[in-house]
Amino acid sequence: MSSALWLAVLASALGTYLIRVLPLLWMRRRLRRLGEDDQVDAMPQWLGILGPLMIAALLGVSLVPRHPDASAWLATAVGVAITLLVWYRKRSLGWPVAAGVATYGVVIVLVGM
Amino acid sequence: MTTRTHPLRATSWLTGMREATPLLGGYIPVAISFGLIAIQTGFTAWEATLISVLVYAGASQFLFIGMAAAGAPLWLVVAMTLLINVRHVVYAPNLAPWLTASRYWPWLMHGLTDQVFALAHSRLPQLPEHQRLGWYTGAALLAWASWIAGTLLGAVAGDWLMAQWPLLGEVMPFALPALFLVLVMPRFTSRRWSLALCLTIVTAMICTLAGLTNLGIPLAALCGALCFYLVKFDSRQTGGSHE
Repeated sequence: MSSALWLAVLASALGTYLIRVLPLLWMRRRLRRLGEDDQVDAMPQWLGILGPLMIAALLGVSLVPRHPDASAWLATAVGVAITLLVWYRKRSLGWPVAAGVATYGVVIVLVGM
Repeated sequence: MTTRTHPLRATSWLTGMREATPLLGGYIPVAISFGLIAIQTGFTAWEATLISVLVYAGASQFLFIGMAAAGAPLWLVVAMTLLINVRHVVYAPNLAPWLTASRYWPWLMHGLTDQVFALAHSRLPQLPEHQRLGWYTGAALLAWASWIAGTLLGAVAGDWLMAQWPLLGEVMPFALPALFLVLVMPRFTSRRWSLALCLTIVTAMICTLAGLTNLGIPLAALCGALCFYLVKFDSRQTGGSHE
């Protein structure tokens, strides 16, 4: 890899890090200015709303299979249903994900047979 | 004092690692693909691994090696890489109210990927203050390590792995939507939130199907936010509660 390409890697790395860290420094200064008692309330309302919605957007993006054919969509639908079912029963992180992945895999195998 | 502090810290590290384990299902197959593609486009295994260590941002890394291999101007490669990652600006401020005064937090933001943010945003508010740094460190380091190890594995043995277990690479990434689903479900607390969340999910899916995955994330969230504000206006008129 040429030194120019290395510089591009370093610039991308530094830029990505700054995108992640600078808003934190800004927010911490804002929270300090507004006082210690109401840290959550001190967050701008739009920012508090955008947080959960970004997670929902990540869910939407990841729900689309890499090869979106009928079998992958079917496996996704069944996997989502089982993940939800186990989440309603357990209210935990690990079990619903494990059950969802296992179900997704079983459907892919069964449809492919 | 020290005998109490260390086990607590170790426990919170381990809890963070355990709770981040589902991320591995999504990270490792994608990292293997990245390592494999990097080798195919002319990078060495160490170069691919170092890109994963330093940049650590999935989609933009694929774009970086693709554009660089195609001979695009390097300033454009950097600009496009950063443009894809710009959505990360809203992540850290959303976590800030739950972060302690430790000076390590700014350094740990290197590990604040989409998935780590989603996990931390749900879990940090539930944890006692003294466990948050350890929990986040454990979760973020496990995710980072898996991304680096997956890249190296893909670069060294990606071809062989894909030939041996093609199904694994197809099935394991479902861990990500399953995890996001579990993280999003507790947010369905009212009709107002439900509508905004559903609209966001559907918009993001449509954007992805249209090939606009990276633009789709902020765009879908903005659509959901717009819906959230508009429904609040309607519910006030009818006198209903929104929360």
